[in-house]
Amino acid sequence: MNLKRLGYLSSAVVIVIMLLAPQISPHFGLDISIISEVVVFAMAAMSVNVMFGYTGLPLFGSAALFGLGAYGVSLSITFLHAGFVVSILFGVVLALLGTLLISWFLLRRRGIYFGLLTIAFGQIFYFVAYRMRDVTGGEDGMTFQRPVFHLAGMNFAFHETALYYLTLGIFLLTLLAFWYLTKSPFGHTLIAIKQNEVRVRHLGLNSDSFVLVALLVAGAYAGLAGALYAISILFTFPLELDWHQSGDFFLMAVLGGAGTVWGPLLGALIYVLGKEILSTITPAWEIFLGGIFIACVIGFPRGILGTVIAALVARNGGVKHEEAPEAEPASISA
Amino acid sequence: MDQLLPSVFNGLILGAFYAVVALGLSLIMNLTGTINLAHTSFLTLAGYLAFSLVLAGSPYWLALILAPLLTVVVGIIAERTLIRPLYGRDPIYSLLLTFGLALVAEEAFRLIWGANGVPFTPPPSLAGTVQLGFMAYPVYRLFIALVLIIVIAALTLFLRGTQFGLRLRAAVLDSEMIAALGTNTQLLYMINFGIGILLAGVAGVLSAGLLGLNPTSGNALLMPAFICVIIGGMGSLLGSIAGGILIGVVIALTTLYIPAASEVSMYILMAVVLSIRPRGLFGEEGLFG
Repeated sequence: MNLKRLGYLSSAVVIVIMLLAPQISPHFGLDISIISEVVVFAMAAMSVNVMFGYTGLPLFGSAALFGLGAYGVSLSITFLHAGFVVSILFGVVLALLGTLLISWFLLRRRGIYFGLLTIAFGQIFYFVAYRMRDVTGGEDGMTFQRPVFHLAGMNFAFHETALYYLTLGIFLLTLLAFWYLTKSPFGHTLIAIKQNEVRVRHLGLNSDSFVLVALLVAGAYAGLAGALYAISILFTFPLELDWHQSGDFFLMAVLGGAGTVWGPLLGALIYVLGKEILSTITPAWEIFLGGIFIACVIGFPRGILGTVIAALVARNGGVKHEEAPEAEPASISA
Repeated sequence: MDQLLPSVFNGLILGAFYAVVALGLSLIMNLTGTINLAHTSFLTLAGYLAFSLVLAGSPYWLALILAPLLTVVVGIIAERTLIRPLYGRDPIYSLLLTFGLALVAEEAFRLIWGANGVPFTPPPSLAGTVQLGFMAYPVYRLFIALVLIIVIAALTLFLRGTQFGLRLRAAVLDSEMIAALGTNTQLLYMINFGIGILLAGVAGVLSAGLLGLNPTSGNALLMPAFICVIIGGMGSLLGSIAGGILIGVVIALTTLYIPAASEVSMYILMAVVLSIRPRGLFGEEGLFG
C-alpha cells in the first residue's frame, strides 16, 4: 500500500477510536478523565514537538507555558468571574505573553544553551506562582468552580463526557493546523533550520523570525493545553509549572516520536496509561517509567512512531510519500 | 548591619557548594557534551551512603571519604552502561536520559531509605560555634568552607599541573586529535566523569549535614548549579566558581532584604548577565552555540 494512503487510513482509525473512547474506556476500567488527560498532555507534548521535533530546538520549559495557561483560567475565573470561552482565551493569552517574554532571551540561542535557558526561565514562572500566595494560593494552589458556557443566551454546564468531546475537538483542530503547518513553506523552513540553520540564513531567510513564530505556536499549544487541563480538574498548582513536568512533556514527545504528527499523542497515551496501570501495581512506578524512558532514549532515539515510519520508509525503498522529517540529531554548533 | 556579615558568609558557603556541583557538571559537559540532570542524584546518593556508613559504625571522617568514592563507582557504572552509547549524539539525548535516571534514582532512594528524611548530623567535634572576632560562626560551616576550598584548589592543581589535566583540556578542544595522538579517549571520558561525580559526592556528604537528607534533597542544588554554569559561561571552570560565589551572595542578600524573591533572584541575575554578555562571564564563544 502507498505510504501516504496508509498514513491517512491509520489517522482515520485513530480519530474513530478517540471519538468512541467514552464508550470503550469503561470496559477497561478507565475513567473518561484519564482519556481527557491523554488528549490534553498530547497537546502539551505537541508544543515540544514543534520546537524540538521540527525546529530542532529543545524546549525544556514547556510546563511553564502549560502552567501559565492553567493559571490564566483559574485567575480569570476567580478574580474576573470569566465564562468558559473567555477564561480559556485568557489562559492562551497569558501563555503567549510568557512566551514573548522568554523569547527575548532565547532567540539568539541555539542548541543546548536554548534548552538550559528554557528550563531556567520556566523556573522563574514556577517560583512566582509559588511565592505569590495572595494571588495564586502559593503551594496550596487554586480551586475554582467550572465556568458555564454561554451560547445564544443559553447557559450550558459541561460535564466530563461533553468536556472530553470539546477537548478532543480542539485537539483535532490543533493537530490539523499542525499537520497543515508541516506541509507549508513555513513548516519546511523550520525543518530546514533543524537540519542546517546556516544554510537557511544564507538563502536570505531570517531564521530568528521563524524560530519566534514557532515558539509562539508552541506557547499557544502549551497554553491551550494548560487551560483545558485546569478546566478539567478545576485546580491549579505551582508544580504544574515545574521543570519535572516539562520533562514529562518532553518524555511524551520523544517516546511517541518527535518529528512526527501523531507522535505526541502516542507518547501521552503510553505515559498516562502506563502511570495509571503501574501506579496500581507498585508505588515505585516512576522507576519503571524512568527505565522505559532510558531504554527509549538509548534504543529508539526517533521514538516509537518515528522508528515505525522510518522502517516503513526503508521497506518502501527509501521513498517517502508521507513527508516525515528525519529525527536526525541537530547540530550543537549552530 | 549586624545581620549582613553572617548572611554574606552563609552566601559564600552556599555559593561554594553551588560552585563545586557546577564544576562537576561543567567538567562532564565540556568534554563529552553530556548534560547530567542526574548530577544531584549522585549528590543525594553520597549523602545516603555516608548516613548508612555512620549507621554501620564507621567514623564520620571515614564516611566523608568513603561515601564519595562509592558514589564514583556507581557513577562510572552508569557512565559505561547508559551514557556512553550517547557520546557523539545531540546533547539533548543525554539530558533526557539523565532525566530518566534522576526519576529512577529518586524512587530508589525512597525504596531503600524511606520517603521521609533521615537525620544526619555532623560529629560533636564539629558542633557549636567559634568566635571569629567580629561574629560567632558555626564550626560546621567553617569546616565546610575549608573542605570546599581544598577541593577546588586540588582540582585546579590537578587540571593545570598534571599530564592528565593537559590531555583533558586538549580533548575538550579536539578529542579526535587527542585520540589520534594515542590517548585512550574512552578512558579519559570515564575518569573525567568520575571526577565530576566525586565533586558531587563530597558536596553531598557535606550538604547532608547542612541542608538535611531526603530523597529529593539534592534537587535543590541542581538548578543553582546549572545557573552557575550558564552565568559563568560554558566551557570555563573559573566561570563556574565565579558564578557559584556570585549566586550564593545574591541569594543571601535577597533572603535578607527581599525574602519573597530569594529563589527567583538567581534567575533574574542570569537574565541580567545574559542580556549584557550572551555567552556568560567567562564563556568561550562558539562552544555549545
